[in-house]
Amino acid sequence: MKFNANLMWLLTAFYIAAAAGYTVWYGNTHQGGFEPIGSAAISMLAIMCAFLAFYLQMTANRQGAVPEDRLDAEVSDGDFEAGYFAPWSWWPLFLGLFAAVCFAALAVGWWMFFIGFPLAMVALIGFVFERSRGLNAH
Amino acid sequence: MATATKTAPSASMQKKSKGRIVVDWLTTTDHKKIGYLYLITSFIYFLIAGVMALVIRAQLAAPGLEIVQTKEQYNQLFTMHGTIMLLMFATPLFAAFANILMPVQIGAPDVAFPRLNAVAYWFYSFGSFIAVAGFFTPQGAASFGWFAYAPLSSATFSPGLGGDLWVFGLALSGFGTIMGGVNFITTILTMRAPGMTMFRMPIFTWNTLVTSILVIMCFPPLAAALFALGADRRLDAHIFDPANGGPMLWQHLFWFFGHPEVYILALPFFGIVSEIFPVFSRKPIFGYKTLVFATIAIAALSMTVWAHHMYVTGGVLLPFFAFTTMLIAVPTGVKIFNWIGTMWKGSISYETPMLYSLGFLTTFIFGGLTGVILASPTLDFHLSDSYFVVAHFHYVVFGTVVFAMFAGIYFWYPKMTGKMLNERLGKIQFWLLFVGFHATFLIQHWLGVIGMPRRYATYLPEDGFAWMNLVSTAGSAFLAISILPFLWNIYITYKRGVKTTLNDPWGYGRSLEWATESPFPRHNFTSMPRVRSESPAFDLNHPEYAAPEAKADTKKKG
Repeated sequence: MKFNANLMWLLTAFYIAAAAGYTVWYGNTHQGGFEPIGSAAISMLAIMCAFLAFYLQMTANRQGAVPEDRLDAEVSDGDFEAGYFAPWSWWPLFLGLFAAVCFAALAVGWWMFFIGFPLAMVALIGFVFERSRGLNAH
Repeated sequence: MATATKTAPSASMQKKSKGRIVVDWLTTTDHKKIGYLYLITSFIYFLIAGVMALVIRAQLAAPGLEIVQTKEQYNQLFTMHGTIMLLMFATPLFAAFANILMPVQIGAPDVAFPRLNAVAYWFYSFGSFIAVAGFFTPQGAASFGWFAYAPLSSATFSPGLGGDLWVFGLALSGFGTIMGGVNFITTILTMRAPGMTMFRMPIFTWNTLVTSILVIMCFPPLAAALFALGADRRLDAHIFDPANGGPMLWQHLFWFFGHPEVYILALPFFGIVSEIFPVFSRKPIFGYKTLVFATIAIAALSMTVWAHHMYVTGGVLLPFFAFTTMLIAVPTGVKIFNWIGTMWKGSISYETPMLYSLGFLTTFIFGGLTGVILASPTLDFHLSDSYFVVAHFHYVVFGTVVFAMFAGIYFWYPKMTGKMLNERLGKIQFWLLFVGFHATFLIQHWLGVIGMPRRYATYLPEDGFAWMNLVSTAGSAFLAISILPFLWNIYITYKRGVKTTLNDPWGYGRSLEWATESPFPRHNFTSMPRVRSESPAFDLNHPEYAAPEAKADTKKKG
């Protein structure tokens, strides 16, 4: 985790440098002109990388050393339970299908949207709450 | 019926009914099955877009409109050929290989969000269908080129349902890709087996991580741009209106997605060949860490080179983009150096996956070199939108995606199905593909140099393009024929292939997928070896040649 956070900080620094370099270079060659699209796009990359880096660093500090980052960890050092994996589910298919109806509706006509949207909402709720055991019950 | 009363075999032995099999595939949350769904769907799109390419080549074989009836049809063909090949074949092919292999390579039982993984697949599948459904409408599919430049893509210049379906279909499929990317990142960060540190991950897994980071960086701008274009087309918004600089805004946004997209196509396939070279050279990968950092450098730089597609607009900062574009050739060169270093003095054997990887290397180097030529603005002004560019990107994209795809399929087929594909047919296919590909595209460089522009439905006899186009079309026929031995190979392997009982049928497999059964069990591992280097399966199967860390560990613990 520590390394991942540092990697994202590295990318943050790179994009800050790239955004600054791009903006200054453009200004110098265009009599003080400013090209908003490229400057904004690269700056936003820097912001996104900083978000990720910050989150990963916080997580790493909270977690401490984990077995997957230790060079000498044994397989038995891992969590006893790897997690719960849904064996099958109908909801992804329905969510995909009804979302597709909504998106096609944007191209075809609004009448289709009013059919697809309620169904997509049902599918979304079904998807989110499938196998839910309630708050903090895990 | 009487037969139904016979004693049923035990549950695990019971043969599944056809309906049961269909339901299993439709409701699956297993990362491998979802990966196979991606693989099959994207291969079908590869064949569809391949047929379009053959029609395009047939049309260009001689001057005149002999094959397609109108130029509008030709425009639809090259638009959809490009769209399908990039967004419905190559991008989901990354998701296919990442889904099938990445969790196994890090020793995880599944991906972090199995149901989200399924949603991602269905978004891709339905979204792609919406985008190509334009062919079923009266005016036909989108015809503004796969980069949909404003104002050509507006409702004024390209009216019709086909264009609208293209926009919103791609938006939906793009959301699927983003979900896939998030899922892969989370899985790699949180679900590695104990001892599988970041710098012991196989190169393919590293490249999946870096590619997924690229996905979450560049697909959201595409989604935003597509929704804005949709608003222009359907709601009369004026976002990409030429009156307020819309064309430049579109080109910037599109290429801000479009260039990293090329690396999303390339990096996972670099990962595939990085897995294959060491196995068939009987040597560990040369310069593991430089390879990883080269990948990171390529990805970081690839976000800052987008406007080299826009040199000829005259409105971009030429020296900045020429500099970053040429800079990206350095880490790419490092990778090529590493692959050659891996083979250097190795005891190489030429099984089909290795042949394809070598085919990849040869082809990709050609494409990389012409890329440096095109990165120079002075040269690009002459070559832009000519067949030189067409040849360049086919060398890059076909070289990485298609050659490495076949390499990967032949290499991991025993892990996916438990059966090896036929080697002889594989080699026949390779040589047909290799010769066909180079015959089709090498000559297009010279076509571009003498001035043939891309995307024109035909040309005049006086232009002097005819014989070169004929050679190219003949080559494309070879290329198409090469798919037949592959399909035959899949069929006879299904019918007559012998089940392999080995975990590692190639003998020198390195990463964790070679330490589990073929085909994979449901949650990937019944037992897992200790991870002490980047090649745990090799350490397990060849203890006498194991990595020093692994040997030291065995000595200490026994």
